[in-house]
Amino acid sequence: MDRRTVLKGLAGAGGLALTGGLSAPAIAQGAAARTLRFVPQANLANFDPIWGTQYVVRNAAAMVWDTLYGIDSSFQPQRQMVESEEVTDDGTTWTFKLRPGLKFHDGAPVLSKDVVASLTRWSARDPMGLMIKALQQELTAVDDRTFKWVLKQPFPKMLYALGKNNSPCAFIMPERIAQTDPFKQISEYVGSGPLKFAKSEWVPGAKAVFEKFADYSPRQEKPSWLAGGKQVMVDRVEWVIMPDPATAAAALQNGEIDWWENPIADLVPVLKKNKNISVDIGDPLGNVGSFRMNFLYPPFNDVKARRAVLMALSQEDYMRAIVGDDNSLWKPLPGYFTPDTPLYTEVGGEILKGKRDLDAAKKLLAESGYSGQPVTCLVAQDQPITKAMGDVTADLLKKLGMNVDFVATDWGTVGSRRAQKTPPGQGGWNMFHTWHAGADCVNPAPYTAIRANGDKAWFGWPTSAGTEKEVASWFEAKNLDEEKAAIGRLNKAAIDDVVYAPTGFFLSYTAWRKNVSGVTKGPLPLFWGVSKSA
Amino acid sequence: MLSYILRRIVATLPVMAIVALFVFSLLYIAPGDPAVVIAGDQASPEDVERIRQSLGLDRPFLVQFGSWVWRILHGDLGTSIFTNLPVSAMIGQRLGPTLSLMIVTLLLTIVVAVPLGVVAAWKAGSLIDRVIMGFAVFGFSLPVFVVGYMLAYVFALELEWLPVQGYTPLTQGLWPWLENLILPAIALGCVYIALVARITRAAMLEVLQQDYIRTAKAKGLGQGGILFIHALKNAAVPIVTVIGIGIALLIGGAVVTESVFAIPGLGRLTIDAILRRDYPVIQGIVLLFSFVYVLVNLMIDVTYTLVDPRIRY
Repeated sequence: MDRRTVLKGLAGAGGLALTGGLSAPAIAQGAAARTLRFVPQANLANFDPIWGTQYVVRNAAAMVWDTLYGIDSSFQPQRQMVESEEVTDDGTTWTFKLRPGLKFHDGAPVLSKDVVASLTRWSARDPMGLMIKALQQELTAVDDRTFKWVLKQPFPKMLYALGKNNSPCAFIMPERIAQTDPFKQISEYVGSGPLKFAKSEWVPGAKAVFEKFADYSPRQEKPSWLAGGKQVMVDRVEWVIMPDPATAAAALQNGEIDWWENPIADLVPVLKKNKNISVDIGDPLGNVGSFRMNFLYPPFNDVKARRAVLMALSQEDYMRAIVGDDNSLWKPLPGYFTPDTPLYTEVGGEILKGKRDLDAAKKLLAESGYSGQPVTCLVAQDQPITKAMGDVTADLLKKLGMNVDFVATDWGTVGSRRAQKTPPGQGGWNMFHTWHAGADCVNPAPYTAIRANGDKAWFGWPTSAGTEKEVASWFEAKNLDEEKAAIGRLNKAAIDDVVYAPTGFFLSYTAWRKNVSGVTKGPLPLFWGVSKSA
Repeated sequence: MLSYILRRIVATLPVMAIVALFVFSLLYIAPGDPAVVIAGDQASPEDVERIRQSLGLDRPFLVQFGSWVWRILHGDLGTSIFTNLPVSAMIGQRLGPTLSLMIVTLLLTIVVAVPLGVVAAWKAGSLIDRVIMGFAVFGFSLPVFVVGYMLAYVFALELEWLPVQGYTPLTQGLWPWLENLILPAIALGCVYIALVARITRAAMLEVLQQDYIRTAKAKGLGQGGILFIHALKNAAVPIVTVIGIGIALLIGGAVVTESVFAIPGLGRLTIDAILRRDYPVIQGIVLLFSFVYVLVNLMIDVTYTLVDPRIRY
């Protein structure tokens, strides 16, 4: 090959490029309108909703796998894959019948044996599932569409457990997949829901594609959260992973994506100014900010020290650090349960209300015997929420006269260090920051963080007999009034013992282009009913 | 020459072994636990432990290291803890975008930086020289992400000439491929262009003082011929060296650039893997980067013989 040949080749390639000769054919307008491009809250790093319980996995799984029941926007479980159910008078035997015509994505019918295997795997990992499993006598398939769950004692929250949207959800998979050890990841993604997972197009960290499942049989009722008719209006949903919020904002403005699940508060004003973009609260159940104190070691092994911190903390400071000046994005939370939900209560929450009394807090801290020992405070810097809260806490503790050992680290390190029960100076800790999805704080069933059964409790290992007693009361409650009474007592007991420190309730926005319609508020992004025009 | 190349390739083996041991040890002692990330916030400590066992993370260091090395020797980089996909397949998915970005950046750098450096040296001390060197300092000082955001704002959002983000494979057309790479390549190339332009200027200044250049001028050779044929070739050794070293800069810069422009390349894969403690992926990528770096150094050494006939191996 000589110089002239090379030059000719380059000129030819350049010409082709300029004239579009090498370009891919432009996607037809109709095809583009049938693809919804969505930026999720995080990377879909794995796709087993029982093995990995991150919210982003749950959100993707809710498209691909259906559930027997679905919780609607009034927090009631509604039939989904189930046609009917019966329970014996003593509440110990549940018999369920599946809807006819249900199919998996490989075309096979959904049978009772698939449900039994799926529930067996789920109940080995889910907190409510574990409770049912502890009471279980047998779980069997009666015939292809009927299965029976026999318990030793009644479990009144059975339907709620099967339909709840908290991770892990009771998703129904084919038997051969559901027989995978619940502590090992599945490798086949054959679903039962309205969208199919396109494994061949999955680039973890970059893209995940879901295609409409033509043989899905939606219910006839109106959709409501995870309940009702899940009618998919687009052919494809493409999840585009964008780690950088500024890039996602620019891509949404430029029309390169259609829907961004959770724009950060700083960028929302820019999006609101754009006439092509709609912005609204995405998840009305929001989030509960928190920091947890270690009950095992001084100073927070003494309830007086924990109360001193609660007495001094200003939830407004925390919330403004997270959401900025937008007052519609936060609420004070003198309790532990999600505002605007049926069981919300402020009973016992006086310590978190009104003007903050730093002097009284200092006095109480002194009574606890605190003598200036370092307080190891873990703060993940790679999570804007924990970073913001950590800075406020450091300031608060200093004002209280505490000696703060501020450990600025990443979320992965906090995740493993918080499990250490060794003393703070030997790899352990005194406090760490986190937050809980409001959907997990609507009642005690999915609310791991409220449990106070010492060694078995969540990190910090709180012990509060009163709290545990009222958790049990809620599970035994037979109606809403009984539930509310139990939650009121639970809230008071948990605040008295300071199971953890709630730093406030905050919401976040979601944003989509105006050619997208049908976006609804919910505890997770709901893709049924969402359509897109060219 | 061939025996030299073979000797150098063999010499990379102990280097790779040391890198492997270093990376594995570092990850073993680093805080963080992938089982905690997988299990999620609602998991009990017992669940986390079961997951650790199923992943084999509870085994002693030497056992884990031994089985990893054994797999590597059989050409198996392992399986990602999170995605359950082979590490080699994940790297394969991400290699194209990163390679494309690096190639376009490299070409852009050579096309822009070398002439700028040559011109600056030719006009040393003049306004043109000062402007070019001022640009070099500017390019060197601006962080990649700042340049990236500015370019995206102007050329994508305001002018709507180019896309903000993403990557299109070359198989889907030259222009779709290129349009996604222009802004990232400029952002990533700024530092690199500045560096190469400065080195080119310095090397050219030295060469332009040589007697044979004066002779060439006396013989009446054209300025372009003197600069680009006679001077540049003799100044090429340090320039080639810096371009080679710069590939390491590109790898580092690609991590940021790929995040800013949402390019699904190896840089983003690295960050994701580190944040999640996906050990097999981190180890696979670091090994790959080390190998590439060793290979690039070898290529630079070989290139010296092409630009300077006095160099023989």
